[in-house]
Amino acid sequence: MTLELASLAIAASAGIAAGVLSGLFGVGGGIVFVPVLVLLFSFGQLDAQATSLAAIIPVAVIGAWRQSGEELVNWRAAALMGFGAAVGVLGGAEIATRLPDATLSRIFGVVVVLVAGEMLISATRRLRAQRRPEPDLSGASDDPRRP
Amino acid sequence: MELAVQFRREGAMPLIGIGVVAGLFAAMFGIGGGVVIVPLLLLVTQLTPRRAAATSLATLILTSLIGVVRYSGTGHINWQAAALIGAPAVIGVLIGIRLQKRISAEWLVLGFGLFLLLIGLRLIVGV
Repeated sequence: MTLELASLAIAASAGIAAGVLSGLFGVGGGIVFVPVLVLLFSFGQLDAQATSLAAIIPVAVIGAWRQSGEELVNWRAAALMGFGAAVGVLGGAEIATRLPDATLSRIFGVVVVLVAGEMLISATRRLRAQRRPEPDLSGASDDPRRP
Repeated sequence: MELAVQFRREGAMPLIGIGVVAGLFAAMFGIGGGVVIVPLLLLVTQLTPRRAAATSLATLILTSLIGVVRYSGTGHINWQAAALIGAPAVIGVLIGIRLQKRISAEWLVLGFGLFLLLIGLRLIVGV
């Protein structure tokens, strides 16, 4: 798993792209990190996943810190979800460590396709909705969507 | 205050439930769970998209940290690689947050969705 010097540029650009995505949509970047590590750096699926989680930590910390400056973070909700996450992580790790790497990789591929499909559908829908004089839902406006 | 209203409005159980699903995704797929958290938050809470994204990032601190603790000692974490992609991503997240205030992100989402679709298919076909 040694990283060649020539790959540094790819890793850096993938990292920046993942970060931009995080800042825009509140995802951690793992959806980029994992495929990059598997497809470009020949990581095993489980190695890529565990490494991705480590890479997400600084992104989440800095991102949440920046957003909390604008009082956009609901810390109570985050703490409650984090509490639930502890349970989920322990269960998920049991499953992940038991599955063969190739199987795990394929299941991950399905998740990526589903996420991609959701992104494509919602973006198309919002682009269409923009023609109507409604407040946009892109996150550019912070007005409540519902009464 | 608006925040105080939100604090009362959201039940604890749905949020813990979202957390369980996010944690499952974090450990099984190595993603923080944001792709699950943001849509579910918009579905079950009154949070606006920007607030949901910001709150998701805060949650990811916990899900990824718990995931790392779970996988540390198993030899699966390559710290060098994590630093190599994590450090530029920190720069990226600052850019993304600035962009979030300014641009309508639909075209970006569309392009990124297509990109992910190809990657996902590639992973399904096999490495």
